[in-house]
Amino acid sequence: MWDWNYAFEVLPDIASALWVTISATLVGFVLALVVGLIWTLLIRSNNKIISNVADGIVKFIRNTPLLVQLYFIFYVFPQFGLSLEPFTAGVIGLGLHYSTYLSEVYRSGIESVGPGQWEVATALNFDTRKTWTRIILPQAIPPVLPVIGNYFITMFKETPLLSAITLVEILQTAQNIGASTFRYTEPLTIVGVLFLLLSYPASVALRQLEIRVTERY
Amino acid sequence: MSEPIVRYNNVTKYFDDLQVLDGIDFEIQPGEKVALIGPSGSGKTTFARLLMTLEEITDGTIEVEGDYLWHEQDDNGDLKPASTDHLRKVRSNIGMVFQHFHLFPHMTVLENVMEAPVTVQGRDKKEAKKSAEDMLDKVGLLDKADTYPAQLSGGQKQRVAIARALVMDPKVLIFDEPTSALDPELVGEVLDVIKDIADQGDTSILLITHEMDFAKEVADRIAFFDGGKIIEDGPPSEILYNPQAPRLKEFLERFMNTQSSPE
Ligand SMILES: Nc1ncnc2c1ncn2[C@@H]1O[C@H](COP(=O)(O)OP(=O)(O)O)[C@@H](O)[C@H]1O
Ligand SMILES: [Mg+2]
Repeated sequence: MWDWNYAFEVLPDIASALWVTISATLVGFVLALVVGLIWTLLIRSNNKIISNVADGIVKFIRNTPLLVQLYFIFYVFPQFGLSLEPFTAGVIGLGLHYSTYLSEVYRSGIESVGPGQWEVATALNFDTRKTWTRIILPQAIPPVLPVIGNYFITMFKETPLLSAITLVEILQTAQNIGASTFRYTEPLTIVGVLFLLLSYPASVALRQLEIRVTERY
Repeated sequence: MSEPIVRYNNVTKYFDDLQVLDGIDFEIQPGEKVALIGPSGSGKTTFARLLMTLEEITDGTIEVEGDYLWHEQDDNGDLKPASTDHLRKVRSNIGMVFQHFHLFPHMTVLENVMEAPVTVQGRDKKEAKKSAEDMLDKVGLLDKADTYPAQLSGGQKQRVAIARALVMDPKVLIFDEPTSALDPELVGEVLDVIKDIADQGDTSILLITHEMDFAKEVADRIAFFDGGKIIEDGPPSEILYNPQAPRLKEFLERFMNTQSSPE
């Protein structure tokens, strides 16, 4: 049933595709971190129109499947003249989708900072930008870092969805190998093990971070 | 008499339908120390928060050194709501110490005091550190410079908060019940610091307090608030020992009776 020779034969190919998976995760997550913060700030805007529109978009993205969004970006956008590489489309899809979750995480972090911090910022004459960067965010982010880390791991494990828009990441590579040799067991098992090898240590590290954060606050 | 540093002109404040301040006229002279007393809910905090721009004014004007705080004059000399820049410029003359300190928990004591001089005033880091240390020395907490607020007692926190406000060199410093969140045994150390500032500084002080003895000690003038109005305003000896308004007499009597054990 299990052929070690075959497994070692296909391992290098699959492992090299891991690079695509990891870079899609990293770039997508950085995008999600930045765009998520922008959503949060827009939703908090005093301008009711801006706030409602941003809130509507975020709810829409959060409540529709990532796979549908990926298809849309990859297959429908070109009809409006926007053709994207699979990697670019995938990273935008992931980043946008997860930005809506992160926006919610930022919001809860920000709301955990008491009104007194805003008032003292006014009393010391901070402008809006410096109130955010120097006072509010440095207090709002550390407590929610574990949650942010969780989304990072979840996103990593969702990257195989990108094979649906023809990105040759690790799952797609394993499938291609399987299709050419009619042996799927080894390639797919290797994919599972590689994900496990990366996400398990990450969640252990996250657990440590969580303990440190709760100790500090 | 010189130009007042702060002037309230017919200031009114509503929270929705609730009128909290009722057409108040009031002046603070440069260097003057004014205490505000009065029953809870009479509008003292709101009165002070308008000056710190933490609440929006409903009607009337406030002037700081002759500049409108909440308004700007357009080309015709008509008043229009102040721009953010104007508000920030005038507000830079005012500082405030809060009942609950509101130190920055993510910064050390020294960083708490240095932060605004560097970030807001754009002062040189080294120089700001020096004046922050001088300020901490002044409130007796230089040895705590590298600790975090969570490790301080309430009294120490409030002394840091005072240093943080003072380092900005405000012309008017507001204290809103600076000791009422403190354990009784920690009140003295904070009052001593405020007394020092009052004695040596040319900073004007607006002190909201329930500590009558302290008000008498530091204030040049006491104003009595009741129902959103200043009912009586004068030197401490007059207000405390020769009150005229029945409401003030009542307030003082009730105060003497309920005041807890001697300190
Ligand atoms: N943000 C607010 N919204 C609504 N009502 C308020 C607000 N702040 C204060 N008040 C009301 O205004 C009145 C005066 O309050 P305050 O200025 O805090 O008085 P004091 O400091 O003399 O106790 C009270 O009736 C209080 O409930
Ligand atoms: Mg009050």
